[in-house]
Amino acid sequence: MLQRAPSLTPAGTLIDVDHPLEPLWRGAVVYRVLTLLTVIGVSAFHMREYASPVGAVVVLAVMVVWTAVQARVVLSTGRDVRAPFAVADVVVSAGIMLTTPLIVTAAQLDASVPGMGSIWTSGAVLSCAIAFRVPGGLAGAAVISAALVLGKSRATLTELSDIQVLVLAGLTVGFASLVLSRAAERLRRAAAEEAATAERERLARAVHDGVLQVLAHVKRRGAELGGGAVELGVLAGEQEVALRTLLTSGDAEIDESGQRDLAATLRALSSARVTVSAPAHSVELPAATVGELDAVVRAALGNVERHVGPEAPAWVLVEQLDDAIEISVRDDGPGIPAGRLAEAETEGRIGVARSMVGRVADLGGSVELETGPGRGTEWIFRVPGGTA
Amino acid sequence: MVVDDHPIWREGVARDLGERGLEVVATAPDAKAAVRIAPAVRPQVVLMDLNLGETSGVEAITGIVGALPQTRILVLSASGEHADVLEALKAGATGYLVKSASVDELVDAVHRTAEGTPVFTPGLAGLVLGEYRRLAQSPGGEPAVPALTDRETEVLRLVAKGLTAKQIGERLVVSHRTVESHVQNTLRKLQLHNRSQLVRYAIEQGLAE
Repeated sequence: MLQRAPSLTPAGTLIDVDHPLEPLWRGAVVYRVLTLLTVIGVSAFHMREYASPVGAVVVLAVMVVWTAVQARVVLSTGRDVRAPFAVADVVVSAGIMLTTPLIVTAAQLDASVPGMGSIWTSGAVLSCAIAFRVPGGLAGAAVISAALVLGKSRATLTELSDIQVLVLAGLTVGFASLVLSRAAERLRRAAAEEAATAERERLARAVHDGVLQVLAHVKRRGAELGGGAVELGVLAGEQEVALRTLLTSGDAEIDESGQRDLAATLRALSSARVTVSAPAHSVELPAATVGELDAVVRAALGNVERHVGPEAPAWVLVEQLDDAIEISVRDDGPGIPAGRLAEAETEGRIGVARSMVGRVADLGGSVELETGPGRGTEWIFRVPGGTA
Repeated sequence: MVVDDHPIWREGVARDLGERGLEVVATAPDAKAAVRIAPAVRPQVVLMDLNLGETSGVEAITGIVGALPQTRILVLSASGEHADVLEALKAGATGYLVKSASVDELVDAVHRTAEGTPVFTPGLAGLVLGEYRRLAQSPGGEPAVPALTDRETEVLRLVAKGLTAKQIGERLVVSHRTVESHVQNTLRKLQLHNRSQLVRYAIEQGLAE
C-alpha cells in the first residue's frame, strides 16, 4: 500500500497534499461573511434614501441566505459540488447587482453610494478562481464587472478601479490555487515514489533471502547426493551466482555526471569460476573508461578460459590507489612461457594481449604481466584516476 | 550456534555440521534471539547470516561479541551487500564465507574460526584492502587511522588475488602461519579502530558515563 502522503510531509509544510485548497476555501467563506456585514452596514446607512427600502431589505435577505448556503456548501458538503456552486455564486451575485436600478436612485449613484451587493460580490470571483484557477478567476471577474457596469449603467473611474481590483483578485487567487495544487501533486508523487522504492527494496530482500538460500541449499545437497543430483546442484549454483549478481549490480548504472562505478561493473563478471574483489565503496570513473576497462578484463578472463581451461578459476582485484586504479586479473594456470607472446605477434596474430595493451594505453595507462612456470599468469592494468 | 532467518537453510546447515562431528548448541532466527540465547549456550563459534529479516546480523554480532568476548563469529551470507560484510568484520566477525561454499569448506572454516584463524576469502581481502585505502585517504581530523605495514598490504593483496596462505608463504618465503598472522592483524586493527571510534562517538554524545 502507498503510505498516506501527509505523514511524509515535513512538519513545517503547510500543504495538505490531499486537500491543498482547503485554506483558500475557508478564507473565501470568511471573506464572504465579513463583506456581507460591511454591505449590510452601508445599506442601512443609505436605507432612507433608497428608491425602494423594502426591495433593499429583500435583496439583503437574499444575500444573507446565499452567504449561509455558500458557507455550508463549502465547509461541510463534499468537494465535488464546489465547482458548480462557484458558477452559481457568480450568477446569483451578478443577479443581485442587476437589482441596483430598482433600489438605488441615480442621485445616490452620482453621490458614490455603492450599488446592490457591491464588495460582497467579489467573493464570487474568489470562489471561481479557487475552483477554476486563473481562467476561472478572470471569467468570474469579467461577469461581475459587466454586472457592475450594467447595474449602475455607468463606467466612471470608480467602476474602473473596482474592475481593476476584481481582475487582480481573480488573477492572484487563481494563480495561488494553481501553484498550491501543483505543489501538492508533486509532493504526492514524491511520496508515492518513495513508497514504491521501499517496496522494490523489500521485494529484492525477499528474493535475496528466499530464492538464493534455496538455490545455495540445492547446490550443496546436490553435490552430496551424487549421481544425477550433482548436475542439478551445479545448475542451481550457477543460477545462485547469476541471481545474486543481478540483485547487487544495480548500482553499476551511469549517473548524471557520466560517471560509472567500476567496482560494481566488474563485480557483474563474477561467476562460479571468477572471483571479483573490490572495495565496498564505489570506484567512480568516466563511463567510457569503465566500459573500456570492462572490455579489457573480459578479454583477460576469456584468455584464461582459452589457455588454462573453461573451468579454471580466475581472480579479479580492483584497487583504488592514490593516483591510479589498478586491476589485476590472475589465474593459477601453467603461465605463459617466455617469448610466447612475441612469437604470436610475429606469426601475424594480433593477439588478445596486444589488444588489451592497446586499450589500456589509449586510456593513458600501463600493463604489466607477471608469469612464470607454476606461478600462474597475472595481468596488472593500471590507469590514471584514484582519489587524489 | 547457527543464526539464520531462513528455516530450510538453518536446519540444513545445522544437520550438515552435526553429521561432520560438530556440535550445534543452538539455532536462532533473528538478531534479538541470537543475542538472548548466546550467553546461555556459550558457543565457540557463531555462524551468522547478515540478512536476518527485519533485524541485521551486524547488531547481533555487536551484542554477542560484547557479552562473550571468547566467542568467534563466522559470517555466512548470501548477501552481496559488501558494506554490510565490512561492517560485520568491524563489529568483530573474524571470517566470511559465501553461502555457495561447499560443506567441506564450511566445516573447515568453522574449525579455523574456532582456532582463532581468520577465514578470508579473496573478496573479503579486497573489501578490507579497499577500506584501509579509504581510511588512509579520508581527509584529516581522523586521529589514529589504522595503517597497514607494507608486508601486511602485500599479503592482503595476494589473498585478494586468490592465492592460498601456502602459495603466499612460498612466494614471500615465510611460513603460512606468518601469513595468517599478518591477515589476522589487518582485521584486528580495523576492529580496534572501530571500537575506539565507537567510544569516541559515545563520549562526544555524552553517553559514556
